Amino acid sequence: MRRSLLAFLAVFALVGFVTMPPVTEANGLEIGSTVEAFSLPDTDGKMHNLDSLRGKKGTVIVWLSAQCPVVAAYKDRINEIAAAYKDKGINFVGINSNATEDLTYVKSNMAEFGYQFPMLIDKGNVLADKWGATVTPEVYYLDKKNVLQYHGAIDNDRSGKNIQEQFLKTAFDSALSGKAIEKTKTAAFGCTIKKAKAE
Amino acid sequence: MKAISLGWLFALVCVVSADAQRRNPPPKPPAADLPKVTKIDQVRYAALIKPGTRPLLINFWATWCVPCREEFPDLVKINNEYKGKIDFITISLDFEEELNTTVPQFLKEMKADMPTYLLVTPDESAAIAMISKEWAGALPLTVLFAPSGESVFFHQGVVKPAELKAAIDKLIQ
Repeated sequence: MRRSLLAFLAVFALVGFVTMPPVTEANGLEIGSTVEAFSLPDTDGKMHNLDSLRGKKGTVIVWLSAQCPVVAAYKDRINEIAAAYKDKGINFVGINSNATEDLTYVKSNMAEFGYQFPMLIDKGNVLADKWGATVTPEVYYLDKKNVLQYHGAIDNDRSGKNIQEQFLKTAFDSALSGKAIEKTKTAAFGCTIKKAKAE
Repeated sequence: MKAISLGWLFALVCVVSADAQRRNPPPKPPAADLPKVTKIDQVRYAALIKPGTRPLLINFWATWCVPCREEFPDLVKINNEYKGKIDFITISLDFEEELNTTVPQFLKEMKADMPTYLLVTPDESAAIAMISKEWAGALPLTVLFAPSGESVFFHQGVVKPAELKAAIDKLIQ
């Protein structure tokens, strides 16, 4: 009887381990994990939650900075991709977690760079810490059920002069055509998110 | 007929070459009094980040990175203090056109003489992963490798000199 119970518990544990989906970790997100809902204010103080901003086919959360020259080098590409894929059901959402950038600066930068998507203010870098975001620009592509599909760089070339791999667009095109995304995680040099010091 | 065809081919080559030069102009030559910054590719980079017989301190930075510029004077002091006891290199992630201008100009202003390299690679993901899988590429980054290859100090953001010096002292005792 005892042997049977132990065997049952072992099988139960094994099944649970194999079928358990990836969880959202406190210090970052794993590909395949479902992100928790969040609410943040935009630059006008209006609160938005993830579900209200979600696209029919997916959402891109992109960490940005008003000051970062790497973001400046990417602004046209970000705007082009956001516009091109909005019609395909993928919405962009910008996040600013920089403690050194006040609201006035962020708003004026938004106007200067011509972003056509909401910019949410992550005061105290709560969301950045939860998701493990550390650099700008840094993108997280979620599917329509808020499952993380791709995380990292937009493409392989910060300068934009020698782009050989369009990581984000390739991920979109694969997902939209029902294919598996080959490169789910990349990294690129960028500006540190200027986080508020922990009290 | 053959001469005319060759002439057209030559002209085509000249046009294509000129267009490539226009789109990707080579860096301007360095001024004589500026420190040398060496452009490196992924292969050279992989060799440089392996420590030799001394501890290896590496700082990743860029002139466009405000905290990188802020911490640089402290790094210069550390370089001067530990010269001969550790190997200290810096790797700039400035754009290639800054190789012989902005980067060496900054080094001159800082009175920095540690060897400096400018990395140009089509695969930044791989370059970043070679240092640490925990690094997303944010600058500045300071990392200290023991001669064994073990990473004993890893810091993203402005470095705290006292903490870095403590890590170095532990290795060289």
